[in-house]
Amino acid sequence: MESYSVDEPVYALATAYAVSALAVVRTSGKGSILLLSKAFSRPRKLLAADNASLVHGHISDSDGTLIDEVVLAVYKEGHGYTGEEAVEISTHGSPTVLRRLFVRLEELGFRQARRGEFTFRAFMHGRMDLTQAEAVEEIVSSRSVHSQEKALERLSGSLRRELGDIRRSLVEILASLEVQLDYAEDEILEDWLFPDEEVDGILHRLGLLASSYGAGRIYRDGAIVVLAGEPNAGKSSLFNLLVKEDRAIVSPQPGTTRDYIEAECEIAGLPVRLYDTAGLRTGGDEIEDEGIRRARSLFEKADLIVYLVEPGRPLPDDIDLERTLIVHSKSDLACGGGLAVSSMTGEGVGLLIDKIGERLHEGEVGQGAEGPSIDSERQLACIRSCIQALEAARDNRNQSVDIMALFFQGALEQLGLITGEVTNEELLDTLFSKFCLGK
Amino acid sequence: MRDYDIIVIGGGHAGIEAAAAAAREGFSTLMITQSLDAIGRLSCNPAIGGLAKGNLVREVDALGGVMGLLIDGTMIQYRTLNRRRGPAVQAPRAQADKFSYSRAAKEMLEHIPKLSLFMDTVTDLIVEKDAVVGVVTERGWRIGCRRLVMTTGTFMDGRIFIGEWDAPCGRLGEGAAIGLGASLRRLGFDVGRLKTGTPARVRASSLDWDELEVQPGDEEVIPFSFLHDEVDRPRLDCYVTWTNGETHRIIRENMHRSPLYGGKIVGRGPRYCPSIEDKVMRFPDRERHQIFVEPEGVGTEEMYLNGLSSSLPEDVQHEFIRTLPGLRHCEIMRPAYAVEYDYLNPLDLYPSLESKRLSNLFIAGQTNGTSGYEEAAAQGIVAGINAALSLRGEKPLILGRDEAYIGVLIDDLVTKGTKEPYRMFTSRAEYRLSLRSDNADLRLTRLGWQKHSVDEERLERLDAKIRQMSDLKASLASYRERGKSALALLKEPEVTVDGLVDRIPSIASFQPAVRREVELDVKYEGYLRRQELEIARFERAEAMAIPPDFDYDALKGLSGESREKLKLVRPLSIGQAQRISGLRVSDIAILMMAVKGV
Repeated sequence: MESYSVDEPVYALATAYAVSALAVVRTSGKGSILLLSKAFSRPRKLLAADNASLVHGHISDSDGTLIDEVVLAVYKEGHGYTGEEAVEISTHGSPTVLRRLFVRLEELGFRQARRGEFTFRAFMHGRMDLTQAEAVEEIVSSRSVHSQEKALERLSGSLRRELGDIRRSLVEILASLEVQLDYAEDEILEDWLFPDEEVDGILHRLGLLASSYGAGRIYRDGAIVVLAGEPNAGKSSLFNLLVKEDRAIVSPQPGTTRDYIEAECEIAGLPVRLYDTAGLRTGGDEIEDEGIRRARSLFEKADLIVYLVEPGRPLPDDIDLERTLIVHSKSDLACGGGLAVSSMTGEGVGLLIDKIGERLHEGEVGQGAEGPSIDSERQLACIRSCIQALEAARDNRNQSVDIMALFFQGALEQLGLITGEVTNEELLDTLFSKFCLGK
Repeated sequence: MRDYDIIVIGGGHAGIEAAAAAAREGFSTLMITQSLDAIGRLSCNPAIGGLAKGNLVREVDALGGVMGLLIDGTMIQYRTLNRRRGPAVQAPRAQADKFSYSRAAKEMLEHIPKLSLFMDTVTDLIVEKDAVVGVVTERGWRIGCRRLVMTTGTFMDGRIFIGEWDAPCGRLGEGAAIGLGASLRRLGFDVGRLKTGTPARVRASSLDWDELEVQPGDEEVIPFSFLHDEVDRPRLDCYVTWTNGETHRIIRENMHRSPLYGGKIVGRGPRYCPSIEDKVMRFPDRERHQIFVEPEGVGTEEMYLNGLSSSLPEDVQHEFIRTLPGLRHCEIMRPAYAVEYDYLNPLDLYPSLESKRLSNLFIAGQTNGTSGYEEAAAQGIVAGINAALSLRGEKPLILGRDEAYIGVLIDDLVTKGTKEPYRMFTSRAEYRLSLRSDNADLRLTRLGWQKHSVDEERLERLDAKIRQMSDLKASLASYRERGKSALALLKEPEVTVDGLVDRIPSIASFQPAVRREVELDVKYEGYLRRQELEIARFERAEAMAIPPDFDYDALKGLSGESREKLKLVRPLSIGQAQRISGLRVSDIAILMMAVKGV
């Protein structure tokens, strides 16, 4: 069971999970500094750092790709908030960066702290002037944390089914091993054979789950969102609002935007490449026509087209409604039903951002061939470890049954961190229901 | 009758170990049993050991117990089980001459100084201020004691069922202990019912031997007891036969006459040891079930039909047993029967096996909801040692799950309770690779010495073994081949210590037990090291003590459900609390903070 503990390396985001200038991720636990040094551009500097000092550098993925430029605040054991060895990582406040950082931390051997765990540790180490009541309150407020056994129930539908299935298959394989260990050769006459087909099947399914993390392409490469609409619909104003910069020239003159302009931004936690395009009309000049042609070619590859239109105006025939979000523009000027924004006052933009996020997520689920997907770094880390354990089992197929059981136990332990642990009782239940046993 | 330091009720496998341990510890001890002729009786299968169970016997022996000595002296067939399936889970099993076993047990007890034996039935406890101070017997004796160990087995309100027939017995032909169960209920104990069963015994001279497959024992006999270097005993064969469609048809057609299916028996039976009617009903697709025909001793014709336990009426038993090859003309000497009996909820016990309800009372064996001679003996020795340690005012012997199967067994019982007769399985142990049957002495004997349960001879043998092991390891380390030491070579699956004898002749001078031990230590080293981190975490949680009288009601923030569970189990450590099923992690954290300063 993963419980509140002291000294085990854990991490937690200390700031809001949103786009902001800075974000701080706290780590704490024995060996935190050494673990982090493995992903840090200046490991020696970090290892040699004094208590309460800052080290500047870069954190990278396991393949060496840069995650972000960071400042690490180092605390030696006996200092800092928890009283444990600890490092605070200041990064840029980008959800993408944070997600990649969390994946990396899990790989390094940190686990996500439970709610209130930092305070819990501080108390356990007698570190601060904290009343027990405060720490208790913080933990109690995390009551959604039920007993481990019920972990599976908390997952969403298709993921719960998929993980439940995989878990069941693994429990059955382990039971088939255990029965060999708990009953003698003269009772269980058949020797155990490595279940290649089942293990390959499970590995395949786990692989799909692992790659479903971050919903694949969009998280990796960013989504393409194109702002479109008639001239002077307010696209450029909205563009500036979404990228939070004055990039596009805004004027009351229809047709101000001739060619498209683009910018990287984050919308609803997703990396987005946002395009502002020329208004769609006929009868402009040659340059404007070229701009419109380019806009239409962008529509082809867009993940989502946000089409701004004044209430009552018709939509163009050639637009793919499946990938289009219709937004009524200039809600400060006119009011109508449906989704509406005012680029001038910013009214309705929050709602629009949510809507864009929702549509992009939807599209992603669709692209994953309706498969279940995982949604946290923790789950990804557990599934990867589960895969490793099963691969190790396959590589050691000639080992005796008692060793083989270790590998499958290891695989189930990892999966159990998501689905709830497999108890000895559950294993025996499976064993007795599947095998006719007993002299 | 004079008073005693320690009284042990019952002369079964738990009672034997408890009484022997208590007396060994130096306290005047009285064993009260319903029948002196039934001490150490093997009520069911005439065998000791088996997977996980063999480990328990070795552990009992390593702590100074007697079960290993008894089986070494009375075995009629020996096998090491699961040689093929991995050295860590191999275990010894022996067929016993059941009459000799029982006799040897009584004789051994008679030779223990400070131990008295007395035949009577205890019907009530004498209690003063929530503490047991003595017992009352059927014939009116009131005997005082400072500690009581209760090992009543299947005898407390035992009832035997054979089809429509039933009788108040603990074993066929032996009356139940009536009265004690009612007394305990009156004292507030949580009493439940469990069920178990035993197969028929048939006459050897009536078997068709040519229709049975022979199952011989091993050539090499490895003694159960660490005090023995070798065992010299007669060797008998066992036999194998199979049920068939006709057997199953008869059983199916008469199922309505089974007290199990008719609802007469309410107690739950063990799933791992189902009756033949259970097997036929639950696995209808199985065309046949394997049955072992085992001799019950040298001087008896009784043969035990292992795998054929039943509670069907005797006429049905006669009919279906005679459908099996080899048994077609058999004479049935004793019928199969089911027995239902009282057990006490083991959640009422501390890990020392002392009762939470009454002080000075220890409970061990089948009374706690277990099944099996070995499980009973394991609890018996712990209860006996702890009764003595509490008289000395010393800390109890509590074995960890990482130290012994005994630790796993008792922790499961007192933390999770049991709803069916509890049997030991290797899969119940998290660290089974370290809990091998061959290294029980290395794990436990020194501890047993510290707890006054182990004598000098045992300790000297342990030290000698440790010395020899390190000598052998040194010889292996100094030999080199292909640029590797023999220790490194040994890590390769096909290399064995015995196989190296040609190249390292000094190996031959070491005892087989030492060679085995070194080989397994080396082979499993890597896997054991992997578990170290996990074991360290486990031990940290075990080390965080919770006082037995901790006030859970006063602890703010606990969820209601967890609070009730904690009050019921009263765990003695955070580790134990974590194993209570359904306890929330947040509640464990709150508890950790609360006990931090204690």
